[in-house]
Amino acid sequence: MHATTTHFKIEPVAHDAVIIRVGASLDFRNAAAFKSIVQNQVDAGVRRFILDFSDTGILDSTGLGSIFSLYRQVSANKGHVMFAAASRPVQVVVQLTRTYKVFRQFPTVEAAVETLA
Amino acid sequence: MEVIRQHFHGLNGIIEELHRLFDAWEHEHALFSSLDADTAQFFRLVVHEWVANLVQHADFQGQDAQITLEVMPAGQRLRCVIEDNSEGFAFPEQIERQRRALSPFPERGMGLLLLNAATELLEYSTTHEGRRRLDFTVSSTADSCLDIPFSS
Repeated sequence: MHATTTHFKIEPVAHDAVIIRVGASLDFRNAAAFKSIVQNQVDAGVRRFILDFSDTGILDSTGLGSIFSLYRQVSANKGHVMFAAASRPVQVVVQLTRTYKVFRQFPTVEAAVETLA
Repeated sequence: MEVIRQHFHGLNGIIEELHRLFDAWEHEHALFSSLDADTAQFFRLVVHEWVANLVQHADFQGQDAQITLEVMPAGQRLRCVIEDNSEGFAFPEQIERQRRALSPFPERGMGLLLLNAATELLEYSTTHEGRRRLDFTVSSTADSCLDIPFSS
């Protein structure tokens, strides 16, 4: 079953890993909500995050900042943040900010999940 | 040259309105039809960042926000002018301040820098009527990036 907060959906895929279905946007309007739901996951012991951007039309600087905030927390515990199925708008931000250097990119969510084993 | 002009009144829901408009342009193959997909995405990102900046930080001195978006295709490039009736700010100083303050994996302070990286020509000025004016050009052939530090 999906847990939903605002429009973010969380799907556990391992004891320490979740998929977050980002949905239509991650920007200044909902970055605080994103931070709040991922904080709950981090507090519960999750340290590997797959962000599913397949339906995402907007990723802005504030949204990216909220992902950086998550990365700062989980990387201290050898955690990861992965980008999966990045839509064209997300790819443009990834290219402009060169964040592919720190966030592994996967063509599909399934491909990202396979790396968790 | 085709010029598309759109007026926005007030800031409530302006982001949603903007993206609905861009979606319609894409759907109708208007404006974006002569551009490659990345140029259109750069354009959307820059306008979004700028209007997000207005929504979050601009001082309209209690007046209703009046924002005008003017878009002019120019070959493989897109030129855009956004005018507003805010108080404005010292753009070069602010962008330099953000550049200097950029920390590893920053949570805030990337908006203007991202906008700067996504544009070829970028000018911020005040019109004769006292409106603030952002004039920029985007093209996917530009190879600039926002140089975020990934280690301390």
